[in-house]
Amino acid sequence: MGRYIIRRLIYIFVVVIFVSLITFGLMHAVPGGPFSREKALPKETIAILNARYHLDDPLWKQYTHYVYEVLVPHITTTPPTTSLMDDYLISVNLGPTWFRWMNFGPSYRSRSRTVNDIFRDNLPVSAQLGTMALVIAILIGMPLGIMAALKQNTIFDYLGMAISIFGVSVPAIVLGPILVWLFGVALQWFPVTGWGAKPPYLLGLLPTNFGWDYFKYAIMPSVALGLGSSAVIARLTRASLLQTVREDYIRTARAKGLTERMVILGHALKNSLIPVVTILGPLFAALVTGTFVTETIFGIPGMGRYFITSITNRDYPVIMGTILLYAVLLVFANLAVDIVYAYLDPRIRYD
Amino acid sequence: MRKFYVIAGLSIILSLVFSGCDALGGQPAELKTLHVNSGGAGDIPTIDPAIAEDVTAITVIESTFIGLTQINEVTSLLEPGMATEWDEVINADGTQTITFHLRDDVPWVQWNDTKVEIVKDCAGKDRMVTADDFAYGIYRNLLPANASPYGYLLSFVLKGAAEFNDGDTEDFSTVGVEVIDDTTIALTFLEPAAYNAQISGLWVARPQPKWVIDGDDCTEAQGEKWTEPGSFQSYGPYTMSEWLHDSSMTLVKNPFWPGTDSVPQAKIDIVEIAMLDPVPAFAEYEAGNIDAAAVPLADIDRVKADPELSKELVIAPNLCTYFYGFNTTAPVVEDVRVRRALSMAIDRQGLIDNVLKGEQEPAQWFARPGLAGAPTMDTHPDLGVKSDPEAAKALLDEYLEETGQKAEDLDLTLVFNTSADHQKIAEALQQMWADNLGVNVKLVNQEWAVFLETIKGAATPQIWRLGWCLDYPDANNFLREVCAANGSSNPYDEAGNPAGGFFWNNDEFEDLMKQAAIETDPDKRLEMYARAEEILVYEDAVMIPIYWYTRVTVTKPYIIRTFSVGGHELYYKWDITSE
Repeated sequence: MGRYIIRRLIYIFVVVIFVSLITFGLMHAVPGGPFSREKALPKETIAILNARYHLDDPLWKQYTHYVYEVLVPHITTTPPTTSLMDDYLISVNLGPTWFRWMNFGPSYRSRSRTVNDIFRDNLPVSAQLGTMALVIAILIGMPLGIMAALKQNTIFDYLGMAISIFGVSVPAIVLGPILVWLFGVALQWFPVTGWGAKPPYLLGLLPTNFGWDYFKYAIMPSVALGLGSSAVIARLTRASLLQTVREDYIRTARAKGLTERMVILGHALKNSLIPVVTILGPLFAALVTGTFVTETIFGIPGMGRYFITSITNRDYPVIMGTILLYAVLLVFANLAVDIVYAYLDPRIRYD
Repeated sequence: MRKFYVIAGLSIILSLVFSGCDALGGQPAELKTLHVNSGGAGDIPTIDPAIAEDVTAITVIESTFIGLTQINEVTSLLEPGMATEWDEVINADGTQTITFHLRDDVPWVQWNDTKVEIVKDCAGKDRMVTADDFAYGIYRNLLPANASPYGYLLSFVLKGAAEFNDGDTEDFSTVGVEVIDDTTIALTFLEPAAYNAQISGLWVARPQPKWVIDGDDCTEAQGEKWTEPGSFQSYGPYTMSEWLHDSSMTLVKNPFWPGTDSVPQAKIDIVEIAMLDPVPAFAEYEAGNIDAAAVPLADIDRVKADPELSKELVIAPNLCTYFYGFNTTAPVVEDVRVRRALSMAIDRQGLIDNVLKGEQEPAQWFARPGLAGAPTMDTHPDLGVKSDPEAAKALLDEYLEETGQKAEDLDLTLVFNTSADHQKIAEALQQMWADNLGVNVKLVNQEWAVFLETIKGAATPQIWRLGWCLDYPDANNFLREVCAANGSSNPYDEAGNPAGGFFWNNDEFEDLMKQAAIETDPDKRLEMYARAEEILVYEDAVMIPIYWYTRVTVTKPYIIRTFSVGGHELYYKWDITSE
């Protein structure tokens, strides 16, 4: 297993380098630059901006400079400055020297912020929302799927699947405004927009208050975001469980005289989880990095918006930063999924 | 049935609990708090006056930094700002020097987590706003390294500013900015233009705290981060206390602003600016959490029909013009008759009534009424271009006959940037052209940054869309910047030939622009701009003016407010009666 993980980590490194190359190439290939404006900037101004951000260097040099700044740890005696070009995600003071690592560069659009600022301020919000949405998706989806499978072709099955069809076909862009109107504007149970926590975050990720003041903001967007995924989980759970209960080893388990409860919980369910776990990996990566629509509808200061606006603004460092973050999370989530496979199904071995 | 009672009971209890929370969580009664929304979702890119460019940023700057002069947000008339009075002198070489006399009673302030405090210098004395601070602000705006998107505003009027801004010289003393003493600053302009005093007061020429940005003996240099809460300093009726990026910005009243006739002390203690998309912002308005909001297009009919909301609705002018430009060198539209026909064939009022619904005004010319020097519908009701489908058809038929073509065979393309609203407008006009002229115009949309490159290069399409909003309220800001040779938004190549956009040059128009700029008689100036408009939209018909903007807003009845024609609200003139 250990060797397998090391091998996978090497693959992951290669994949991420490829993603960064493709992203870098594509974003420089599309027409329009970060300083295109309706009221055009003078040529001299654009030249200065290009020089400041090294955009007048050849592309290979820009790329290697970027990779160097992100990947290679710096050990230096100069203390950090307030310059936006000089903002490292990890910056530790070791007596006379500084250990500094991962400079994702400044944002061209927000003139007082860096990509690392976006990771510090906006990513935690998206991660909190995404995690809650994922929990809701699992809490609703799995029981619904199990119920539908165990009571196949009964009213429970039809009802469960009807709910899940509803969940899939009503996306957040429709469900969100309905929730806002009903529970926010009409009943006024929950705040219409906003988020209940603000920087600085606990461990850089968690809110400092876990009370009602926090969750009242989170309930509607988490439901809007989680419901669609819960439907997918429900259908997968049902299909997989239906297949598993027809396997020989389930018949064996029953023949041994185990209770139905023991058969389902101890043997069928665990094995039927494999397809569900498979989609949880990518789903996790997608949800925690933020979702544009849900964050816009509920006015949540997450990171989802930056995936879209960075591209319309040609904000190159933000494009690279957001896409690489997503890529890294995705490949690690898939690695985690593969490791969980081995636990769920003892027949799966990686060496 | 029992379950139903349980659920009903539970929901009553829950709603009581939640409403209780709200009452406890509110602000103390004595502090007046205003809740508004910014221009849209997403962070404010910067509030640094030297480099700010968007409406929300300038709104914040208007309340936190006051200019030498002040433009009234409703009448667009010039008023005293930090300068109580100014003298204008025309020099022997044809330049103009304006000497501004400043107030001496305005201190720099900063929010210190609990209250607004006066900033002390290294000797422990109050730091007052001085002429040096103004000179430093102008310096930062023009400094090439800062790459200010609005450097051109000062560059084209202030003596020596363009050379400094282009990096031809690094000596700021060559720029027409002279600090005479702490309360006197003289600015020298290239020509005695009517709008010099206006531009002197714009956000690009506001003081900035040098000691915070560059550091001094008792202050640590913050560089580009100086606008972050904690280091931000200002002196206007408000100062910024909190900036939650992508979420909200909070302004607090500065009690040390002395209060003047044109810039009174703030009446509202706290202004909270949310950064929401217009649709959720309107939901917050309906929930009672935002006091003033823009009405999304989809909600206009409902708001007009609603007995309560319709009373809170105000449609106010906004000094912007929506137009289609022609590439006057492209096939088919190179003929002026085709251009004029396309412009006359559209029913602007019909578009407004059926598609836009915001009581916009049909645009007969480009420089929107309300700008200094611009014609108005009262002074020039027949100026420019009007809907006249029959005359349009006759013009086009003349062209078709001469060239031996059929209307349906004409190859015409309109390109606009991708947006649902632009699409709706383009489709409506496409239909009008088909109905009234029989021409079939193809619609193409492009992503914004791609579109901007397209319309500013050699491959500019036959018809293209843009909107233009004011930087300062003068016809010069529309006609010269967008249409004249070397206007900041009119692409020209190194040799001085049109290189994009209209591909158009008209000597009479150019002369009118130069003369009108320095004309001192307002009536003569008005006639010059009216003549220029006639050339632009009718005789040469290089653009189709479509509509003049309005802003459709709702405001809670307990808010007393003004409606800024430039879109930069002055919150220090607002008040809250009783909630």
